[in-house]
Amino acid sequence: MTTEATTPTTPVADESTVLARIATLLRELPDAGLEDAEIGRDTLFHDDLELESIDLVSLSGLLREEYGERVNLALFVADLELDEIIELTVGRLADFVVASLRATEES
Amino acid sequence: MSRYLIVVPPLTGHINPLAGVAAELTARGHEVEWCGYPDRVRAAAGPAAVVHPCTLPATGELVRPPTLTGPAAFRFLWEDFFVPLAEAMAPAVTDAVRAFRPDAVVTDQHAVAGALVSERLGVPYLTSASTSAELVDPLADLPKVAAWLTDRLAALRREIGDPDATGDPRFSPYGVLAFTSRALIGDTADLPWDRVHLVGPAIAERPGDPDFPWDALDPSRALVLVSLGTANTDAGARFLGEAAAALDLLGERVQGVVADPGGQLTDPPPGVLVRRWVPQFELLGRAAAVVSHGGHNTVCESLWHGLPLVLAPIRDDQPIVARQVAEAGAGVRVRFGKVTAPRLAEALRTVLDDAGGHRAAAVAVGRSLRAAGGRRAAADHLEQLVSAHPVASARR
Repeated sequence: MTTEATTPTTPVADESTVLARIATLLRELPDAGLEDAEIGRDTLFHDDLELESIDLVSLSGLLREEYGERVNLALFVADLELDEIIELTVGRLADFVVASLRATEES
Repeated sequence: MSRYLIVVPPLTGHINPLAGVAAELTARGHEVEWCGYPDRVRAAAGPAAVVHPCTLPATGELVRPPTLTGPAAFRFLWEDFFVPLAEAMAPAVTDAVRAFRPDAVVTDQHAVAGALVSERLGVPYLTSASTSAELVDPLADLPKVAAWLTDRLAALRREIGDPDATGDPRFSPYGVLAFTSRALIGDTADLPWDRVHLVGPAIAERPGDPDFPWDALDPSRALVLVSLGTANTDAGARFLGEAAAALDLLGERVQGVVADPGGQLTDPPPGVLVRRWVPQFELLGRAAAVVSHGGHNTVCESLWHGLPLVLAPIRDDQPIVARQVAEAGAGVRVRFGKVTAPRLAEALRTVLDDAGGHRAAAVAVGRSLRAAGGRRAAADHLEQLVSAHPVASARR
């Protein structure tokens, strides 16, 4: 399937670019107080950033705007066990985005 | 005349609504006894309450470090508190049912032993939802987490319930009393409607405070109450400090009152009244707005008085309740762990400014909460439960 009409072009699904982009989206979350937060691969979504599951929903929408329908964070989160949700890092989110982008590039 | 057994965990917010229902049932001539933790029950329901005492689990009372939030708090809550609590309470609930022979049981959703023992002994029971959060299926988007909880509830059922029974013990097949209203939970929530009774808050008479310095309050300024409820005494030091500073920033127009049960504000600003204990319900009658962590009882009592809210949810059901209030337009939410005094002052200005519509929305939600019937509606449902199952007690 193609979503070229609505999907901004992201030529290479580069890991550090995606990580940096997710960090920016998180810093811009309204009222999250993360404007100056240090966000890296190992940053914990819940314990370090004090984000909640509702923030994952917001982030899911922002990623869709950014990368199109091929990045479905809600589907990824739905497949996580409780322990995996507790230990969710920004790096794991980035890996998921990169894998989704590469999967569509290859197809 | 019927006999009702009320089963509750050692959590004040879960006992308070049922204390109102117990008072109503007693006033109608029914016999009410409790199964739970005597000091907690009597603090809410009065010194004359008859309580079948339960032992605490080995893990003790619910104490969580302030930093334990989000999904980790959820795991702790079930694994280290509600599940061991059910195992610890089950023998006492069984004994209480056999000794008191109630016509019906009403059990808090999180005192799971009440539901499982009732189903095993064949007593009709309603579950009590002391918060609106469980009604909106908060784990709908997290199926593996929902399955994790279902597995634990199933294991408890094999241990203390009827192994052949099915269904979620938090939602009794006989019905659920939910102390909230449609205006708060929102239109989109999909409920098992025929058995969830939205009765609104059941507000019980609570003792006032003869020592409260009412004269110290400046009636020319808008009264703002800051309260983090009864269960977060050690979690709130930073937040209470920012809140007191925010009240000071607004000191020209706002008279701040801060409930500080842990005595953590050692040097509050001069114009702000800080007390370990406050007569919350009386204060709400005079207040213009409330700052809270989003505990369901405080939120409903505030909305009952038509007061807009600034909510700083800490964990558990609070983020969901805060979202419901924000979506109803009756308040704004801030981040508990991150909000600063200037940001909190700005949020308070937003809800105090009537042009923003928060007060009007709060008044509308308050109207729906009052119209839901409260303790009387809850007592009606309990009476109907017994008339629908009249021979239940004779069988045992």
